[in-house]
Amino acid sequence: MINFHPTSTQLQRFAEGNLPPSEALVVSAHCDMCTQCMAVVKAASEKVAAEALSKVSNDPSLDAILANIVQQPVAERPSISVPSIDTIELDGREFKVPRALRRYVRKTGNWSSLVGKLWQAPVDLGDMGMANFIYMEKGGRVPEHTHKGSEYTLVINGEFSDGIADYDSGDFISLDGEHTHAPMSDADEGCLVFSIVDKPLHFTSGLARLLNPFSHLFFK
Amino acid sequence: MLVGIPLESKEARPSRPIDCAEEMSSYLVEVASDRSKVAFAKIFSYFAPRLRSYALKQMGNEALAMELVQDTMSNVWQKAHLFNAEKGSPSTWIFTIARNIRFDMLRKLQNRKEDVCADDLWPVLCEQTADANETSLEEQVTLEQLGHLFDALPVKQRVVIEAIYIDGKSQQEVADELEIPLGTVKSRTRLALQRLKDMIQEHD
Ligand SMILES: [Zn+2]
Repeated sequence: MINFHPTSTQLQRFAEGNLPPSEALVVSAHCDMCTQCMAVVKAASEKVAAEALSKVSNDPSLDAILANIVQQPVAERPSISVPSIDTIELDGREFKVPRALRRYVRKTGNWSSLVGKLWQAPVDLGDMGMANFIYMEKGGRVPEHTHKGSEYTLVINGEFSDGIADYDSGDFISLDGEHTHAPMSDADEGCLVFSIVDKPLHFTSGLARLLNPFSHLFFK
Repeated sequence: MLVGIPLESKEARPSRPIDCAEEMSSYLVEVASDRSKVAFAKIFSYFAPRLRSYALKQMGNEALAMELVQDTMSNVWQKAHLFNAEKGSPSTWIFTIARNIRFDMLRKLQNRKEDVCADDLWPVLCEQTADANETSLEEQVTLEQLGHLFDALPVKQRVVIEAIYIDGKSQQEVADELEIPLGTVKSRTRLALQRLKDMIQEHD
C-alpha cells in the first residue's frame, strides 16, 4: 500500500509544468503507480487549463498560422506502436517498470555490486545528473548518509526502511540535506528503487565515511 | 464522463473554455474522422487567441509565443484522433499539449542536455493513451512473441502491418506503393489488428 505521496504543491507544480525535470520524472513515475495522485494531477490540470486559457489575445498573424497548418498533410496511423521494454531484469527476476521510466531502461548501465547485498545500475540523464536503479537484497543496506542536494526516490517493487520510515511499492520519497538516513531492506523479496540525486551523497557514520571521497562514483 | 463538470472557481468567469466543451469536442471528432478544415478553423479561432495569451505570459517574447501557438495547434490538427472526450475537456487536452511543448522549448532555450522530454513526464500525445479502456498490445506481448504472431498473419495483411508499424510508413504511402486503394489498406490494417488481438487473447 502506498503511504508516501508527493506534496500537493509538488503535484500542482507538476500539473503546471513548472517542476524541475528530475523531480517531475519521479513524480510522473509515482503517478503511474498511484491512482490517487493521478486523479489529483488530472483535476489540477483541468483547473490550470481553465485559468491559463481564460484570456484572449488576438493578432492578425494567427490567420497565417491557421492557413499554414491546414495545408499540412496528416500522417494516418492507427494507434499501436512498437512495444517498449517495460521490465528490468536482475538476478533472474523481472521487475515491471512504471511508464515514465521505461525510456531509461535501455539507457541503464550494467548492474554492479556496491557494498554487500546492494546492487546499482546507473542511468545517464545528461545534464540532469545521474539516476540509479538500486536493488537491495534482503539485508542489503546503504550506509548512513545525508545529502548536499535533493534526493527523489520511488519504490518500484518491494519494501525497505531507512530509520525514518518504512516504505512500500509505489512510495515517493523526497529528501534533502536536513535528513540523514540509512536505507535497508529486510524483505525476503528485497527491494528495487529508482533514485535521482543532484549532488553526491555524504556518508555520516563509521567506516562508510571513508567512502565520501568516492561517493561521486556511485549514488551520484 | 468528466466533460462538463463545473470547475470550482470562486469568481465566475465570463468565458471559461470549459463552457463550450461539447461543441469543441464534436469539432475535434470531425477533424479526426474527416480532416474537416471547417471544424479545425472553429477550434483554432477559439483556442489560438487564448493560447497566444498564455504563451506571451510564459515565453515573454512574441516570436517564441507564436511558435508555441503554432506547434500546439499543429499537433491538434495532426493528432485530433488521440483526443478522448471521456478523459477530459478539449481545453484541458489542448492546454496539456501546450504545456508539454513549452517545457521542451524552455529546456532547449536553456541549452540543457537533460535527457528527459515532456512526453515521458505527461504522456498527452502517446498513441496508447488514446484507448484507455483497452489494454494496449504492448502491455500484453513481448516483441518476440509479436514477431511470431506477425508470421501467422495472412501475407497481404502482414505486408501492410509491417510497412506501417515497422517501417513507419503512412497508410497513404503504403497504398501508393502497393498500388491498392487507401480503403483497402485501412481494412487490411483493421483486420490484421483484430486478428492480432484475437491471437493474443488465445495466447493467454
Ligand atoms: Zn500518490
